[in-house]
Amino acid sequence: MTRAIDFRQISLCDAVDFAILVEEEAKERYAELVDQMKLHHNEEVTRFFERMVQVEMGHESILASRRRTLFRDQPRKVTREMIFDVEAPAYDDARSTMTVRHALEMACTAEKKAHEFFEKALKEIRDPEVCDFFTQLRDEELEHLRLVEAQIAKLPPEPVISAADVEDEPVGH
Amino acid sequence: MFQAKDFKSDLKPIWCPGCGDFGVVQAIYRALASVGRPPHEIAFVSGIGCSSRIPGYTTAYGFNSVHGRAIPIAQGIKLANPSLLVLVAGGDGDGFSIGGGHVAHVVRRNLDITYIVMDNQIYGLTKGQLSPTSPRGLKTVTSMYGSVEAPMNPLLNVLAYGAPFVAQGTPADMTGLSQIVEEAIRYPGFAFVNVRSPCVTYGTEADQIKEHRARMKPLQSLGHDSTDRLAAMGLAQHYCTELHTGVFYRNPTPPPTMEGQLQERQRGLADKALPRHKILDIFVQK
Repeated sequence: MTRAIDFRQISLCDAVDFAILVEEEAKERYAELVDQMKLHHNEEVTRFFERMVQVEMGHESILASRRRTLFRDQPRKVTREMIFDVEAPAYDDARSTMTVRHALEMACTAEKKAHEFFEKALKEIRDPEVCDFFTQLRDEELEHLRLVEAQIAKLPPEPVISAADVEDEPVGH
Repeated sequence: MFQAKDFKSDLKPIWCPGCGDFGVVQAIYRALASVGRPPHEIAFVSGIGCSSRIPGYTTAYGFNSVHGRAIPIAQGIKLANPSLLVLVAGGDGDGFSIGGGHVAHVVRRNLDITYIVMDNQIYGLTKGQLSPTSPRGLKTVTSMYGSVEAPMNPLLNVLAYGAPFVAQGTPADMTGLSQIVEEAIRYPGFAFVNVRSPCVTYGTEADQIKEHRARMKPLQSLGHDSTDRLAAMGLAQHYCTELHTGVFYRNPTPPPTMEGQLQERQRGLADKALPRHKILDIFVQK
């Protein structure tokens, strides 16, 4: 869900800036989820989301360093207003009583969404350098997805009493 | 030039995780950034309810007022200082139940105000009672056997009163929503945006963001002519069964605003106005 970015015309510098902003958006969304979980005293999931903030910050920092090396002070043309929800986990997937498994699944969905995004963008890109860069990003998303799935596989089974049993049931039906 | 983050305050939202209003406030930040007015030139007024917390989450001047009274307060602000960009936010209960009487008047006066209703079809803050837009048959704590009331239709309501700009969005499409809000703010007159923002705690499972994403129908894709008020009313009749998003109606010839007319009158009467020191003489008994 982006607006005002024409991937057919995008330069490598703009593509790197775009990738930085995608990571920044994801980092900020995870930070918002940290606040939400803290407010609801869900400590385990708070810690998981805090970890995700660090992970996204790490990705952002690698890309920012690459940008400095390649393009130094070249002005930035891509802005945050041009992107929406590329890799950021969806607000509506969060629940106050969510478990770590649920949080990991949320991260999985976010990585899948990002992978699909780059896959789709690649079909439009003409510049070979940008194409290589986006291919790398797309493959990294797949790698992240596998890492998260591996974490899910390591988790013990969900308790017999699930979070859904203790949370406020939707009244309307 | 402003960025969305310039409109985000340090206050952290305390809505339930999963609430649709998280997306709505993001869309508002982006719309405000595109419009480009500085935060100190914006007055954001709300009533009472979950969604009425929104002004506090922005860097604009905020007024979290009393239940159902956001519109009269916003009108006062706009008339006192017409240069301000005035936004009003609230829920369906705030806007169409306790505050319902004010809607007709703000529409007929046509002040340049943008009214954003976060319509979740239930009273969420008070733990899930029927609201004026709750669908017939909905079981809630105040309608254990299902509502026997027909919901009111916010879109048809404001269109019938003659609102010059009427739109609907959902946080399931945040890009679309921010564009709609931006368009509403830019419209020179009263603009109404109904946002179907689901209540994650008390709303129905069929009315959550994922379901919205699956069933939303952008009006643009239907080839709707947004200058055709009757066509807009026809589409608005499907409020209960369809989720149309986009601009229903935009009066291509914006009618004069109340504040504009009053300013004109003030200018016209300026010569006849008494000097300040003579004003008290009016009240002196002779």
